[in-house]
Amino acid sequence: MTEHQQTIKKAPKGRSLWQDGLRRLVRRKLAMVCLVVVVLYFLLAGFLYVAEFFDWQVGPIRWAEEVGESYQPPSSNSIFGTDIFGQSVLRKTLYGTKISITVALCASFISIAIGVPLGAIAGYFRGFVDEIIVWIYSTLSSIPYILLILAFAVVLRDKTLFGHKLAGITSVYLAIGLTSWVGICRLVRGEIIKHKEREYVLAARSYGCSTRRIIFQHLIPNVFHIVIIDFSLRFVAFIHAEVILSFLGLGEADRPSWGAMINDARIELSRGVWWQMVAATLAIFFISLALNIFGDALRDSLDPKLRVQ
Amino acid sequence: MESTNGYLLKVEDLKTYFPIRKGLLRRTVGYVRAVDGVSFDVRRGRTLGLVGESGCGKTTVARTIVRLIPATAGRVSFEKTDILRADKKQMRNIRSNISLIFQDPFGSLNPRMTVGNIVGEPLKVHKRITGTELMGRVGDILSRVGLSRDHINRYPHEFSGGQRQRIGIARALILEPKLVVCDEPVSALDVSIQSQILNLLKDLQGEFELTYLFIAHDLAVVEFSCDAVAVMYLGKIVERAPADELYRNPLHPYTIALMSAIPRVDPSQRRARAVLGGEVPSASNPPKGCRFHTRCPLAEGECFEQTPPLEEKDGGKGHFVACWKR
Repeated sequence: MTEHQQTIKKAPKGRSLWQDGLRRLVRRKLAMVCLVVVVLYFLLAGFLYVAEFFDWQVGPIRWAEEVGESYQPPSSNSIFGTDIFGQSVLRKTLYGTKISITVALCASFISIAIGVPLGAIAGYFRGFVDEIIVWIYSTLSSIPYILLILAFAVVLRDKTLFGHKLAGITSVYLAIGLTSWVGICRLVRGEIIKHKEREYVLAARSYGCSTRRIIFQHLIPNVFHIVIIDFSLRFVAFIHAEVILSFLGLGEADRPSWGAMINDARIELSRGVWWQMVAATLAIFFISLALNIFGDALRDSLDPKLRVQ
Repeated sequence: MESTNGYLLKVEDLKTYFPIRKGLLRRTVGYVRAVDGVSFDVRRGRTLGLVGESGCGKTTVARTIVRLIPATAGRVSFEKTDILRADKKQMRNIRSNISLIFQDPFGSLNPRMTVGNIVGEPLKVHKRITGTELMGRVGDILSRVGLSRDHINRYPHEFSGGQRQRIGIARALILEPKLVVCDEPVSALDVSIQSQILNLLKDLQGEFELTYLFIAHDLAVVEFSCDAVAVMYLGKIVERAPADELYRNPLHPYTIALMSAIPRVDPSQRRARAVLGGEVPSASNPPKGCRFHTRCPLAEGECFEQTPPLEEKDGGKGHFVACWKR
């Protein structure tokens, strides 16, 4: 090996903008606490999947089964009391995490998978393609959000897709994902329009980079922090959407979810049974708060323009 | 035998118009004539300076020549190929032979790529070289432009403005092009760094046998580095001459005004400043006749009516001026 190759091998690593952003993020204590909260929710959801896979008995087989006394108020042996079937509300709430996280995660991936490429194509090529894509998302976003999701969820419910019957939860995240890519698409499009006139893109064009290379090597990496920030903030909205759909009876029927719990609470509240409501609301509250604070911190640290030189 | 009589690049009557669209139906209501009939040529191994104030169309000329912006009319010959009508294969060849150096050292490097990848990308795209060999070549060129081989894994934001401009130069040279279009390569830099970069460009010209099209808004910078100079005003070339001839004997009133703006070292040497009044007229609605007549101290009669042609004056020195008064 020549001396020059040695030098190249030993060349010190620089700090990329990603690493730079992460360093700044890690220094924010509150954001890190929020991240821990969010991770706990994810771990819980993951654990429930693993438990289901290995048939560990962490929950009852059937939730709609009488197991004890109905509507026991919170006490020392069940913190959030029991529901109409005598099932522990705490356990229901913890179980609800699984559905919320699954729905929000899947819906996010669907909306990113649709929104980012469409936004990139519209922003880069402009012209006719752009007009079609803008027309589609303007039309979608002109329909009231809840009505649109509801329509999708109702249509998708119990349909078969690629030979699989769409269970309640699948139709929920498909409905949310297919209707909510507009925001990210618009953001990416705007950002690409801004970046494609930058000199580094002109330079790449001047030495004959292919369009695909320009979009994937140059443009997407430079707008992707926006996708991540948007993901963290939109995740909350997706959890809320799932709650709304379950509340309206379009979600999962035989497994507990936060929306279904709040739906139950409608009748219960008039009888003074408040604990199911409070448990579900607290679960939603903590993840929403944590994700919002974390998302803000993410935005502040990942934006390369806010870098402290 | 030289292909086109020693000329590497020949631009003939180049026009670049941008449509102005208005209203609901986006109808074209007019054109911004950013470049309106520009002709010049660059000799092999020489440097042509293209000067003019902001917004006169210098950068548009540069970008039209390499087809980053579509031309409206004209001919650009590079060696034997007409760039504006080249097919995909010819264009690929041209793109590896003409490279650009940009003005803004902060905007012209992708902030998310390492220096190695930025500088090496043209090679990756054209020669399909990868891995250690690619980085070896990148290291070579980095050391030639005054950076170090072990900079390859660093990111642009870890460098100063002058260093970044060196990275841009390394990227422009890695394919060993014949022509380098320098689009105001030093105007975003500190004066002390400017001279370093200009010297570097000059050294590299000898080393790589480069031909430069050098764009600047500052005649002082051009004086140092160019063999011939073309002065642009509002999309047209108003004066073109060998550099020493132009500096000794500027003819066009606009060139004279630009010259008088060059600061001189000797403060006792007081000169009359030819200060131009008014603003540059809009390129979407250029003045009739000579485009400079709205600000010209000599304008009269036919200046308001007829556009002066670019003609050789003072016999045989290659000094071309577009002015009725000379």
